[in-house]
Amino acid sequence: MQTKPVAQFKNIKKKIGKKMIIDDISFEVNAGEIFGFLGPNGAGKTTTIRMLFGLISMTEGEILVNGFSIKHDFEKAIVRVGGIIENPEMYKYLTGYKNLVHYARMYGDITKERIDEVISLVGLEQRIKDKVKTYSLGMRQRLGLAQALLHKPNLIVLDEPTNGLDPAGIHEFRKHLRMLAEKENVAIMVSSHQLSEMELMCDRIGIIQNGKLIDIQTVNDFLDKDEVVMRVTFTVDDVPKAKTCLNQMFQEQETLENESTISITIDSSKIPDIVAAFVREGIRISGLDKESKTLEQKFLDITGGSGIA
Amino acid sequence: MRRMLNLIQNENMKIFRRLSTYIMLGLLIIIVVAAGVISKNTAQQASINTDWKTQLTQDNTTMQKSLTDMQTIPGIDLEQSRAAVEKNIKTNNYRIEHNLPPVQGKIVWGFVTNMVSTISIVSLFVIIIAAGIVAGEFNSGTIKLLLIRPLKRWKVLLSKYLAVLLFALDSLILLFVASFLVGGILYGWSGVGQPYLGYTNGNVTEINMLGHIFTTYAYACVNLLMMVTFAFMISTVFRSNSLAVGISLFLMYTGTILVTLLSKYSWVKYILFANTDLTVYTNGLPVAKGMTMTFSLLVLAVYFILFNAISWAVFTKRDVAA
Repeated sequence: MQTKPVAQFKNIKKKIGKKMIIDDISFEVNAGEIFGFLGPNGAGKTTTIRMLFGLISMTEGEILVNGFSIKHDFEKAIVRVGGIIENPEMYKYLTGYKNLVHYARMYGDITKERIDEVISLVGLEQRIKDKVKTYSLGMRQRLGLAQALLHKPNLIVLDEPTNGLDPAGIHEFRKHLRMLAEKENVAIMVSSHQLSEMELMCDRIGIIQNGKLIDIQTVNDFLDKDEVVMRVTFTVDDVPKAKTCLNQMFQEQETLENESTISITIDSSKIPDIVAAFVREGIRISGLDKESKTLEQKFLDITGGSGIA
Repeated sequence: MRRMLNLIQNENMKIFRRLSTYIMLGLLIIIVVAAGVISKNTAQQASINTDWKTQLTQDNTTMQKSLTDMQTIPGIDLEQSRAAVEKNIKTNNYRIEHNLPPVQGKIVWGFVTNMVSTISIVSLFVIIIAAGIVAGEFNSGTIKLLLIRPLKRWKVLLSKYLAVLLFALDSLILLFVASFLVGGILYGWSGVGQPYLGYTNGNVTEINMLGHIFTTYAYACVNLLMMVTFAFMISTVFRSNSLAVGISLFLMYTGTILVTLLSKYSWVKYILFANTDLTVYTNGLPVAKGMTMTFSLLVLAVYFILFNAISWAVFTKRDVAA
């Protein structure tokens, strides 16, 4: 897969008054990947995204999209960027269709067919001729996505995109983003404070806190690093017997028992040995649960626990 | 260029897809019809003496008399008053000779001319549109999705300004057509071909009536253009719809009073409202001595550029954070 950077953030800074809102952030978003931009509320996610869209000026630094500078060559830089910034606010007194026509006119080369295509892509055919004020939040989100896709962007930036979508909608949305990234090699940048969502959606995650980018990792690295030791829970028919067995194998490790389960924190490579030992002792295993650290715990570890600013 | 037209088309769509716009335009028509009906009824009572020629002759006799009786009053230019009376006498004579009944109120053009004062209502409506066109995008949050398109901000702003002017033009055309139709229906179409009587260098001249009415409209539009540009600026700077409407209307209705109050100071001539009525240079008195048409046009140009420059500077530089 191609890993050409589509968006390049180069040492961007934003100072408001004496406060450094964004402090020297640099990263790239590549074609074909979904980049997660993670951080607590107020960390600077939205500010960074607004700088990319040219809505907020930079005090220092540069953002390039497809090689063009947002600061100096705005029209060329922005032409292949699509997105939603916070809530997709549309003209409520216009129909969904007229809203799309409105945005389409601003590019100048979008056909009626393309508008219809995007409408069916987000599944709004039934209601597109209704006024936006009659739409539910989920439908507005879909319309927001439609306007973001209208001009076939190669960089899509979504700020808190799943706000207001129902679980089925979120699932569909994820599938769709994945399809765009993989099939059309689109670079996607998603910001969120919902960590579990990022885990499911993204390839790489950048963590921002107090205006600084403190870490960028791939999601797999994020989850697997140091993940050899984990808590393993067995569901067995004979808990006391299993306890004796485990105590013999790992003398220094505490076990935690329940009515039908027993848990132990061990190196994950030992799991097959335990299973073999249980089978030898005639203990019947009906369940096995590995509890790896969630992204959330990871996130709290990295940010030193001060999650919400 | 094509995308600039697209932008204007967009702004037009946003203006004309709203009920409030149609309410305003509907009100304008209602006002014209109501004014027509009222003036028709009062005019009928007043014109019991239908022989306008006798009336004009009578008027001329009184005016001739006043011309000889005229004395020097301090503060009033005798020559100027004399000239004004002479103009009226000559115009009346011309009407009698050429069989041209006076326009005032009783024929279609008279009504159209009277309705020119309704341009202040048009100003009010256009100010409301101008006040909302930028502030409204900020209030609804739609400004974000509007500015992330491949168009520089000044283009977006210009399209909005032009859309406002276009709306002003639409309203003025509506006013003209409505007053022409209402006037024609109420007073008949017989006077349509009648010329307007101008007066230059002591001679009465016939001027095309349509041309004359357009000139009257143009003079009345100076104030409209300035106040709309002002409202647009306030809307852009403060992002508040109501503030823009409030300040603009307040100034529009108190501006002339303000000028009168301040007329003893010499700097009053630099105030915008001392210069918006350009008709004073053809018939009337300018606010301060030494003011000329060129001076007023210059002052207006400075204000016009200033208002637009402020709008432009604020809109293109502002961080959109809301």
